[in-house]
Amino acid sequence: MIPGKYRSVSGRAANNVNCGLHLVIQTSSLPEKSKVEFKLNKETPSFSGRLLQHDLERNYSSRQGDGRVISPSPRNKSSCISSTTNVTELCGLEMKTTMSSLSAFGDSSIQTPSKSRIRQGCHSAGPNVSGDHIHLASSSMPSFPILQRSSEEKILYSDRLTLERQKLTVCPIIDGEEHLRLLNFQHNFITRIQNISNLQRLIFLDLYDNQIEEISGLSTLRSLRVLLLGKNRIKRISNLENLKSLDVLDLHGNQITKIENVSHLCDLRVLNLARNLLSHVDNLNGLDSLTELNLRHNQITFVRDVDNLPCLQRLFLSFNNISTFESVCCLADSSSLSDITFDGNPIAQESWYKHTILQNMMQLRQLDMKRVTEEERRIASVVAKKEEEKKRESHKQSLLKEKKRLTINNVARKWDLQQNRIPNIAPNQDRKVSDSPQDPSQLHGSTVSAFPEETGSLDSGLSNTLQGLSVTDTHLVEVDGDTLSLYGSGALESLDRNWSVQTAGMVTTVSFTFIEFDEIVQVLPKLKIKFPNSLHLKFKETNLVMLQQFNALAQLRRVDQLTIDPQGNPVVNFTLWKYYVLFRLSHFSMQKINGTEVTQNDMIMAERLFGILAHVASSELPQYRLISILGDVRKKQFRYLLETKGKKPGLVNEENSDSKRLVGENTNRATLNYTTRDFYNERLEEIKEKKKFCKMYMEDLVKEATEINMKNEALQKLWPQMFIELVRDAVIEIRNKNSYMKLCLQQITDQK
Amino acid sequence: MLSPERLALPDYEYLAQRHVLTYMEDAVCQLLENKEDISQYGVARFFTEYFNSVCQGTHILFREFSFIQATPHNRASFLRAFWKCFRTVGKNGDLLTMREYHCLLQLLCPDFPLELTQKAARIVLMDDAMDCLMSFSDFLFAFQIQFYYSEFLESVAAIYQDLLAGKNPNTVIVPTSSSGQHRQRPPLGEASLLEGVEASLFSQCLENLCDRHKYSCPPPALVKEVLSNVQRLTFYGFLVALSKHHGINQALGALPDKGDLMHDPAMDEELERLLAQIPGLVNSATANPEAGCLPSRTPPRVGSPWRPLHHARKVEAESDGSTEETDESET
Repeated sequence: MIPGKYRSVSGRAANNVNCGLHLVIQTSSLPEKSKVEFKLNKETPSFSGRLLQHDLERNYSSRQGDGRVISPSPRNKSSCISSTTNVTELCGLEMKTTMSSLSAFGDSSIQTPSKSRIRQGCHSAGPNVSGDHIHLASSSMPSFPILQRSSEEKILYSDRLTLERQKLTVCPIIDGEEHLRLLNFQHNFITRIQNISNLQRLIFLDLYDNQIEEISGLSTLRSLRVLLLGKNRIKRISNLENLKSLDVLDLHGNQITKIENVSHLCDLRVLNLARNLLSHVDNLNGLDSLTELNLRHNQITFVRDVDNLPCLQRLFLSFNNISTFESVCCLADSSSLSDITFDGNPIAQESWYKHTILQNMMQLRQLDMKRVTEEERRIASVVAKKEEEKKRESHKQSLLKEKKRLTINNVARKWDLQQNRIPNIAPNQDRKVSDSPQDPSQLHGSTVSAFPEETGSLDSGLSNTLQGLSVTDTHLVEVDGDTLSLYGSGALESLDRNWSVQTAGMVTTVSFTFIEFDEIVQVLPKLKIKFPNSLHLKFKETNLVMLQQFNALAQLRRVDQLTIDPQGNPVVNFTLWKYYVLFRLSHFSMQKINGTEVTQNDMIMAERLFGILAHVASSELPQYRLISILGDVRKKQFRYLLETKGKKPGLVNEENSDSKRLVGENTNRATLNYTTRDFYNERLEEIKEKKKFCKMYMEDLVKEATEINMKNEALQKLWPQMFIELVRDAVIEIRNKNSYMKLCLQQITDQK
Repeated sequence: MLSPERLALPDYEYLAQRHVLTYMEDAVCQLLENKEDISQYGVARFFTEYFNSVCQGTHILFREFSFIQATPHNRASFLRAFWKCFRTVGKNGDLLTMREYHCLLQLLCPDFPLELTQKAARIVLMDDAMDCLMSFSDFLFAFQIQFYYSEFLESVAAIYQDLLAGKNPNTVIVPTSSSGQHRQRPPLGEASLLEGVEASLFSQCLENLCDRHKYSCPPPALVKEVLSNVQRLTFYGFLVALSKHHGINQALGALPDKGDLMHDPAMDEELERLLAQIPGLVNSATANPEAGCLPSRTPPRVGSPWRPLHHARKVEAESDGSTEETDESET
């Protein structure tokens, strides 16, 4: 802002406003006066040229000049060099201030007794610029000119001396001017600062545009407050140790490569290092009063330590080499910073530049010389929030993904152990695992260590959380769109969960991985109820080994597609499996098996191959067997119904009719059912028991029967003889008719 | 009832020997199992049906293995059922692996042991390259011998081992229950040097065995006939000869002759009827009448969809037979 005005002033070379300087320096070290006032008033037209010279950057079209040293701000400090809004040229001591700015200081008595003189002194061309007041004479020393002023001059300008454009190559010896406060050597050819060590009251020293190569000779100037060394050949910042009161330090246009030896300048307010060779910014500790730092036109790639500057308000970083926000992130921690520029840096080309800066530096009032509006701030925060959300989301996603991967690995590992496959890990781990195969955390540990390169790719924090999360995970349930994926046998329990109607309705694909098929069979009735729309079943690593096992799927409501991954399902190696599936599940009219469309030829072939089996099974099976086999199916369903009855009584009827329908649909293959190994073995045990009993019972029965038979046979053998004997006895008895008659009569009478 | 044999034995033993007890026990067992259902339609009816099904040989369908192998009749019935149900697979000309045949067996008998199928496959494959594909008829006849004469073959194996080891055959005590330990085959090198045992000696031993054996064994005359044709023979050579022997198959009576193996007009008729019923295929069945009229002896080649698949598998099976072998030995 200042430079802009400044330039416009200089560019037009005509400003009719009277300009003046009001330099107030107040120091406690001045005993006689607590306030020294420099009052300079000049007419502007005449010094416009010099202003231009002073501004090394006049060729740059930027709106902000690096020549700027002091910018306006209200001063609270008791000691300061202040200028207000239109003050520009402090360096040249030709400071112009508007009346308003002066009045801002409450001092209206700045009128200009020496106005014309100064003008003359400063601006008249020719070698005798200062001829009226200053006499340069050769001193006794050969090399140094000795300066002497007339006593009139001395009285008039007792505290200032201007030696501008005198073609000086060395500093003249200034005698009898111990009370000088302001010394100006602008635009000379001085290579070394000399002969001013006696000017101990010097407050203002201007060596702008000389050929000084090293800062030196200033150690006695303890009062110095403004040191202007712009446009010289200085390579290092050094020898400023005693200048503890320094307020303004201008080193622009030199060859300085790093910031150093400034940490003691606790009163320094303005530091100008523009147009140097700095590659980075740091070492800023101790500059507790710094409010403005100009670093334009360097080669800075990163900035540090700025957050250690408690008073910094303006920071100019234009035309450097900053390309990321991370390289200047310390700026975000500075609470005082209100004005910053980044234009001419790679970072300013980025699309995220503005909102990132605004979001991270809420305290900012100006960015690249433009006022930050509320609207911009709002947009920035919205954008940043969105970005943050996105980031968090993606982080969450990757976290979940990683967790899923680890869990699946873990499940796979368990599965492998269960299948007695040899896991390919280090032998000691192997031993550990086999020692405690039931310990999930142990298992998990080995899983993690089995994939070190993968976990290593994550940042450590992430993997730490993951480890914490998945220690207990031995199974995984995932609903992704219309697919329900179950990994590990524990996942089957999820079917007991209360799934929302929407989710349950949406799921059309159910995929099983790392689960024994026999375990799946047990939950199929649940699956049928919970996910009525599941049409596509996928099996991978489920130990499908027998054609029989497909019988179990027949109890489902509908299956359109079946995918049996060859991995872990040896049944797929059989040439007949597809046809058996088609045959057994023909009531589903399946469309695809393992991704291949089912053709009519397939259906015919399936029927040709297994039709007779179904026929035999249904028509040749004796009635009692049919009942018992179908009864098993019904019993099984009934058993499940009993379990769920308490929860959902409404489902029972539906289920009943459903099972009836199912039976009606394919009675001739309903006899082909599958009982899981465990259940079957259980049944065999049962049968054994019964058999034992039957055997005993039959033994007794047969024994009894054979005994009876034996007796019968014995009787048969004896009977003919017995009969003969009986007949013989009878014949003998009735041989004597009379006596037999008598006997009979006797018996009759006896009865009476 | 009044056969002379009946009088030679005590009743109980007679019943046991004729396996009547087995069936009676099983009948009661079945009754016990389904007593609610059966009581509804009458116990007498049940017994009628049961013994009818035993006569027809349908009683073994989907029964547990212990029952299926309990009697020779059951074994024969099972063989017949297997043939009947999967004749079509053979008719289609498919070659299957041992495991796949085993799966088919398990469709009829869920707990059918893998060991028996493996042994049958050994006969077909001459105890070599166990993962090879076999034709249906080869497998079926080998399986018949192995399954029906299971115990007899165990004893034969023991005798063969003893003969190989050079033991005096006269001292051979026929092992019955403890025969398992003799199952180890001789190392291949030794076997190839000797090329089996002398046929006459072997024949003598087997004759001896047949006399004493309480399980069913092939007719001794036929065994003799098999052995008389050769000088020396190996165990599996003997089994192959048995399985291919026409007379033994006839004596067993479960399966038709090899020539008629694919022939079962009644079932073919039934199959055509079933094919016509396939839902959604009614149109094609009528539009393509010659498919239904195919002569039953020529295997139907409807699209022959698994031909390429089958060839691919064959190559695969040959290439990595060794790994499969180790896998198999694990089980």
